[in-house]
Amino acid sequence: MRFATILDGTIDSAAQQARALGGFLREGLGGGLAGETLVFYQDDRDKKRLVELAPTRGVRLVKTTARRPERMAETIAGVARDEDVPLFLFAGGPGGTELATRLACRTHGSVLTDALSVEVGPQRLLCRKNVYSNHMLGRFELTARPWCVSIDASWNDGRSPASLEHHVLSDADETGCPAETTFEDLELVDLPSTGDLAESRFLVVAGLGAGNRQGVERIAKAARQMGAAFGVTRPVAMNAWAPMDRLIGVSGTRAAPQLCIVAGASGAPAFYWGIEKAGFIVAIDPDEHAPIVRNADATVIDDGLVVIEELAQIISAERKHD
Amino acid sequence: MSSLRILVSFKVTPDFEALREADWLAGAEDDAADGAETRYVRRVLNCFDESALEMALRVCDARAERGSATSLGALSVGGRETEPYLKTLLALGYERAARVEPEAALDFAPAVTASLVAGYVRRVDHGDLLLLGCRSGPGDSGIVPFLVAEKLGWPCLTQVIEVEPLADDRVRVACMVDDGLLRATLRLPCVLAVGNAVVSQLRVPTLTDRLARRDKRVDVLSGADLGVDIAGELGRATCVLTRLETIDRARRGVIVGGKTPREEARVLFDSHLKSLIEKL
Repeated sequence: MRFATILDGTIDSAAQQARALGGFLREGLGGGLAGETLVFYQDDRDKKRLVELAPTRGVRLVKTTARRPERMAETIAGVARDEDVPLFLFAGGPGGTELATRLACRTHGSVLTDALSVEVGPQRLLCRKNVYSNHMLGRFELTARPWCVSIDASWNDGRSPASLEHHVLSDADETGCPAETTFEDLELVDLPSTGDLAESRFLVVAGLGAGNRQGVERIAKAARQMGAAFGVTRPVAMNAWAPMDRLIGVSGTRAAPQLCIVAGASGAPAFYWGIEKAGFIVAIDPDEHAPIVRNADATVIDDGLVVIEELAQIISAERKHD
Repeated sequence: MSSLRILVSFKVTPDFEALREADWLAGAEDDAADGAETRYVRRVLNCFDESALEMALRVCDARAERGSATSLGALSVGGRETEPYLKTLLALGYERAARVEPEAALDFAPAVTASLVAGYVRRVDHGDLLLLGCRSGPGDSGIVPFLVAEKLGWPCLTQVIEVEPLADDRVRVACMVDDGLLRATLRLPCVLAVGNAVVSQLRVPTLTDRLARRDKRVDVLSGADLGVDIAGELGRATCVLTRLETIDRARRGVIVGGKTPREEARVLFDSHLKSLIEKL
């Protein structure tokens, strides 16, 4: 059975998309499938780099204009109709969700987003994904083909893609095709990088237990003293006690530090998703029944703010001593 | 455009954080995948929808300052539990409030929800701008905004964090995209799915507001009113939840002791962190 992965090379996240799709093909996709990658690109100078990123050997190139998801969905729908490809895989995130949904609509297929794994069954695709805000795992069956699936953002785990010898099967130019939606005055704004969170080796996260904005700022200061990156839970960001780009969890950054200290957060699954790949998790929380207690490697049952300030002093003193 | 019509579609969900461990376990034992038992848990506004509802009020305020009229409508696919929220919205200045009786569990049927929302726009509220949250539980699919956009043939942007009404029939939107923050101007009508917006809390109506608008009623509609055969669409669903399982995230869970915070921090450092930090 055949599948196709989709790489949107018209935007800057192509490398992350490729890394996630590559990881998924290695570990999240059942065996016995052969696939190729449909690579959308805008500039001829990007072609070589994008082909090398593709997670499959076979590559089809499509030249197009950026920010035209409906046009891209129409192109992919053409592949689905003309070549009877039953499974399309998209990277996680808003772009993948949009393309998978629009493709399913236009081909009368079925759609599932944020898949952890897929496996082809008799006349159907068997998928797993987290539901109930990450409290539970759901098993789903997709019936109508093509199966349009975006993968969970957790597949973007930072590992380098496997080195492949690629073959370009076709190169089409669709820049002349009309757009369905016209966006005017497009402006892409550079944001402060959140790379310090995603790539941190030592991370401190503040939760609502910090009490107020001042409490969060004190935990941030303690994090700086310890040489750790600093993030917050969604309720802290929603209270405007910290900037939104510090958010850890399903709607923010997923980090995989070697050491993560969580101060004053109960450990709701939507947040925990953002740190569950941490090597060692320390929780500091006064509630011994909070979920974070059993989901941490070590826990201090006490006020997160007070303990982390003490810990920062100890670590600073040890560093000076060394 | 003399008057802008905005419709906000929102969902009231159980507060999943308030569920007991036993309830999740019981939900997992259910072969029929009926979902976890959430009936006794308090209800909350889906956080992204709450942002959308407040954002619409702010667009209304901004236009009012320029002397432009705005007409706000609110829609929820849900049972009686949504009515207090709809009445609150009427008190806040929403002119129209409606709920669609779901007739069956639609928690994992985003396509049916999208049909109902699109049906409402087509048959009842011919709005210019449809706002809704980018995703909601328990299915967390994030596909409803795009499905509605496809059904209506309207443009759609997701992860919207700011909306600014312009002088003519256009809006200036800021949204998070895979490669940064995008600002774009869209011609109406369009669908905007709200993400992690700084505007996150719905304002609270005063008692005077509530009393002044207490006679406004919430319309209750059925799928048939909107041209949607809910049972038929559920029967034709192409993505079906078959089973729920709990997720085991348990780690060692060692409790670090100490009589004072300083002592606890010292024990934590000596027993667990010292060697880890040396290797960082």
